[in-house]
Amino acid sequence: MRALSAAILAATTTFAVPAYAQDWGCAKVADTILAPGAKPQQGQVDARKLNPPLKDKEAFIEYMVKARGDDRAQLARKWDLMQNYVKNGTIKGDDVLRAFLLTAREEFSRARAPAEAYKTSFLTIGCGVTISGPGMVAKMTTELKVKPGEKVLEIGTGSGYQSAVLANLTDQVYTIEIIPPLAKFTDKLQIELAKGRFQELSVIKRKAADGYYGWEEMGPFDKIIVTAGIDHVPPPLLKQLKPNGVMIIPIGDPGCQHVLKITKDAEGKTTRRDIYEDAARRPNCRTQTLFVAFTKYDKEGKTVSRFGSKPEDEKKPQ
Amino acid sequence: MESQRLSISFYVTVGLIAGAIIAYQIAVMRVFSVGTWSHFGSLTVSMAMLGFGLMSAVMCVSTSFFERHWSKLVALSLYTFGPLMVAGNTLAQKVGFNPIELISNPQQKYDLLLLFVCYFVPFLPGALFLGLAFLRAQAVFGKVYFADLVASGLCGLIFLAAMYVAAPEWIVLVPLALWLVGALVWFGSLGRIASMAVVAVLAAASVWATNHYTQIEVNQFKGISYARKFEDSKRIYRNYGPFGDLEVFASSYFHFAPGLSDNAASKLPEMPKNSYLGLFIDSDGPIGIIKQLPDNLKAYFQFLPMYMPYVLKQNPEVFVVQLGGGISTEVARTTGARKITVAEGNPAILSTLRSSKIITDLTGKPLDDPRITVIGYDGRLYARTQRDKYDIIDLSLADSTGLSSPGGFAIVEKYNYTRETLGDYMNALAPSGILSITLWNKEDLPKAIPKFLATVIAAARVRDGDEAAKKFFIVHTYLSTATILYKKDGFSDAEADKLAKHAEEMSFELLYRPGMKIDLGDEDAIYAGYRGSYFHSGDETEAEGEEAAPEKEAKPGEKEAAPPEKTEAKPGEAPKRAPPKLSWANLYKVMIARYLKGEFAEVDQRYVFDTRPLTNERPYFAGYIKVLDIPKFLHQLDAVSDEWGYLLLWATLILAFLFGLLLMLFPVIWGWKTIFSKVPGKFGIFIYYFCLGTGYIIVEVGLISKFTVALGNPAISASVLITGMLFFTGLGSLFTSRYLDRCRTLMPKIFVAIAALLAAGAFFFDPILQAIGSWPYLLRIVACLALVAPPAFLMGFPFATGMAMLSRLGKERFFIWAWGINGCFSVVGAVTVPIVSVLFGHSVLILAAAAIYLVALPAFFYLLKPIPGAQPA
Repeated sequence: MRALSAAILAATTTFAVPAYAQDWGCAKVADTILAPGAKPQQGQVDARKLNPPLKDKEAFIEYMVKARGDDRAQLARKWDLMQNYVKNGTIKGDDVLRAFLLTAREEFSRARAPAEAYKTSFLTIGCGVTISGPGMVAKMTTELKVKPGEKVLEIGTGSGYQSAVLANLTDQVYTIEIIPPLAKFTDKLQIELAKGRFQELSVIKRKAADGYYGWEEMGPFDKIIVTAGIDHVPPPLLKQLKPNGVMIIPIGDPGCQHVLKITKDAEGKTTRRDIYEDAARRPNCRTQTLFVAFTKYDKEGKTVSRFGSKPEDEKKPQ
Repeated sequence: MESQRLSISFYVTVGLIAGAIIAYQIAVMRVFSVGTWSHFGSLTVSMAMLGFGLMSAVMCVSTSFFERHWSKLVALSLYTFGPLMVAGNTLAQKVGFNPIELISNPQQKYDLLLLFVCYFVPFLPGALFLGLAFLRAQAVFGKVYFADLVASGLCGLIFLAAMYVAAPEWIVLVPLALWLVGALVWFGSLGRIASMAVVAVLAAASVWATNHYTQIEVNQFKGISYARKFEDSKRIYRNYGPFGDLEVFASSYFHFAPGLSDNAASKLPEMPKNSYLGLFIDSDGPIGIIKQLPDNLKAYFQFLPMYMPYVLKQNPEVFVVQLGGGISTEVARTTGARKITVAEGNPAILSTLRSSKIITDLTGKPLDDPRITVIGYDGRLYARTQRDKYDIIDLSLADSTGLSSPGGFAIVEKYNYTRETLGDYMNALAPSGILSITLWNKEDLPKAIPKFLATVIAAARVRDGDEAAKKFFIVHTYLSTATILYKKDGFSDAEADKLAKHAEEMSFELLYRPGMKIDLGDEDAIYAGYRGSYFHSGDETEAEGEEAAPEKEAKPGEKEAAPPEKTEAKPGEAPKRAPPKLSWANLYKVMIARYLKGEFAEVDQRYVFDTRPLTNERPYFAGYIKVLDIPKFLHQLDAVSDEWGYLLLWATLILAFLFGLLLMLFPVIWGWKTIFSKVPGKFGIFIYYFCLGTGYIIVEVGLISKFTVALGNPAISASVLITGMLFFTGLGSLFTSRYLDRCRTLMPKIFVAIAALLAAGAFFFDPILQAIGSWPYLLRIVACLALVAPPAFLMGFPFATGMAMLSRLGKERFFIWAWGINGCFSVVGAVTVPIVSVLFGHSVLILAAAAIYLVALPAFFYLLKPIPGAQPA
């Protein structure tokens, strides 16, 4: 019997234990499993200086391989996906398309296989956090309508992918992460990347803090993007939003999240709108794109979900 | 065989092992509830229970082997059962199943299968032991069955009590202890000291493993996992028991302001900081427990939607239906309520908020406010006893996540929100009192709000008829909250104007006020549009991923904010309407207009989801997907994640039925020549035990749901019902041996009596339970036991009588087969209960059980067919 028990226990060690299954293992995850720098940085490239072809796939791939040494297969996957988003209206405008084509999602997605980075679904990245599906990131970024020079605040740094996209649209990106180990990891990751092939990431200012209060000393902001659910729109964030500013907040469950767009007029009055509302009504709910996850709210602000939940401003979609 | 005598230790061991099995089931459910998502616990345990079917099938086709090696196999089952329970649970924690990835990550399906294996294996030795015991004790089956059932019931109670002392991570030791005692009694009675020593060593090893290896891996996506990661997070309180594992964390990162007006940002000088504690129940949460705030920081209450009734009422007497974390109570206190009655049905929450010094020091003991009276049971039961009393009754956000996301179970009764209960709240209002209900308004597409609007308006129409249209004022904020105000004597124009002004100041969108004209011209297009959200006739088949295809069709902004308007018509044609804006407000408005006319079915037929009002018969915020639509959702499951619990029930039902059938047909095919072809009545035996298996469990599980009406808490209801049913059924089976000779004349009467009692219960349980719901709690329990005793006692006869007669008739091989059929279809019956309840209601369910018992009657006579040439029984 003892031998049997020993055998059973030994067998457990062969199981793959996902990072998220380690309850307190977030810091460990950040330091080890998700350790950045797997791929050595080669050369120094600043995407702000790149001008890739946006109309021709082969030309785009050739350009990026030469300019930054990107992987051809990943470039092809990225091109196909982004063109799909352009066709269905998720991505609007060459500036947004360019930003997505220049951002290497595979550097942030912690995907097990390279191809997973450009799958449409979200991916878990440890610490109870997911990186949103690329469609959601594309839709939110499009709706944000960031112009060069605008000051953008992101609540919920998560993987760092969203802020990397924003860095290709403006040189004033601020991002706040509430989970210290994750903040530490993404900070390290973006610093490393900014030293090499992704120097544009150097414009991102990061801090580990409670995003509920925004970043008052750096405000006000032209745009705020909250990649985390909330049971109410934090008044400090609305205060830090400039008149005529736009705030984007996702709300809902995985697979069916809404993205709420709040606009603040010159008098400070706000209006709410689902960014998919009026879109001929979605052909089906999946149009909403998979976003992180998980929160529903209970009495007096309890957040619950079938999958677990988290207090709103700790949600880290990506 | 008739004179077979078994030692008391035999019965005791049977009872303890049966008790350990039931305790293990509950323990696994607890582990799932705390660690991940208990719906999958139900699925896993239900399927694992088919271990009984497997063991029965194997024993049936090789009965002689099991008879020959009886002693060794009993010893083997006893040695392995306990350690395997712990090992199964421990290994399951290593699997790392993550429901959130079930759709997107194919690996998760294998992880789920692995979980099933982990929990399936321990049931095998348990089932083996019971099967062997039944095999040996055929002639006195009634007594053994009595031991089995009564001990199971009592062990259920023991488990309930143990939950107060054993934390969830240790709870697996409860079935282990029952196993240990059972095994020691068994081997002790045989004088096998060495075997006792082995059992003791195995038990010690299991305890060591429980201590050494984590017994609950909390999913990283559970609320508590995040709270633990906050930098300044600190757990300040923990209390576990049958009402959940309550943990309270302190952190400055908790922020709660449910439904807060966006305008608070510009009008509110300051939001309170670090003002909440986070309460987690079974790792889910947090519920915000509000700390004591200085007066200058309480202004934000006025920006919350639950403040709305106070716009009209000065110094009111208030009834807060559910205390929760206390925000509603604080709103009442802050706005000058002269008297506040607060109810809380979860005694653990109440105890936490009232008795824990570390918490009361932070909250300032609000419940000690002399204006406050605390009701320590369900608010709805209290409201039933009140008439014309309260100026404001507040049901704000109480349990509202639970409307669609019950957490503990796939389907949970929500008696707080039924038409009957809302009628009670309305009755309890003072003549000009206001019932105020604020709910979350975040589902896409809306599910709970349409259903709740139907329910509250239906309740009003029962009282007021068409006058109900004068008594509602309804607002919402998109993707936030909806607030429904019902004023008992109706809103005057001035009052409605005042509320409308407040709503405008808060930027709450007006959905309805008395006298409001709602254009129904766009109704068809609105419902078609929402239905098309899922069942678009376009290129769904082209979908290549979760998003790609749908997004091809999404043209954001194309019809942006297009107001409903008439377009120009060609000469001779009726004017065409422009496609309506598919906003939630427009949807709610047309629904409200129909509801106020009493046209509930009209809405239900046209909207994509079920909108039938909740009643005490069907008190569920679940099962929104219409049955015929289920296949259409199978390729877009990620779009209805809040219905996974319900859909899992269907999956479990289908799987359990198929596996059950397979397992039961296996012996038939395998042993057709040697066993089945020679014995008459086999089809009758199958039908008989199929009926008993499904019928009994339907009554048991169905009554657990029903009796929550009186007992309030589902956990207590389950404990009382399981214990009561098993005890009285065991008692009934004990009596069967006295009547075996007369069974041909007695059993028809028994079956008819069972059916009659159940049919009567279907019609009268509800009013009776409503009536006793306000009695003292102990009296309620006694009354509930008295209600179940007669049918439960009679339901003890059919199973034991059938088994004894099989033995008498020389159909021993069928004995074990019959036991397996009963076990397999008990699983099927248990899963059928919530599905039938959601679709048709409790009464239909109980009536169905009555009918099933009537079907068993003719099958009983088939069972009695003698083997040709054998001596008749």
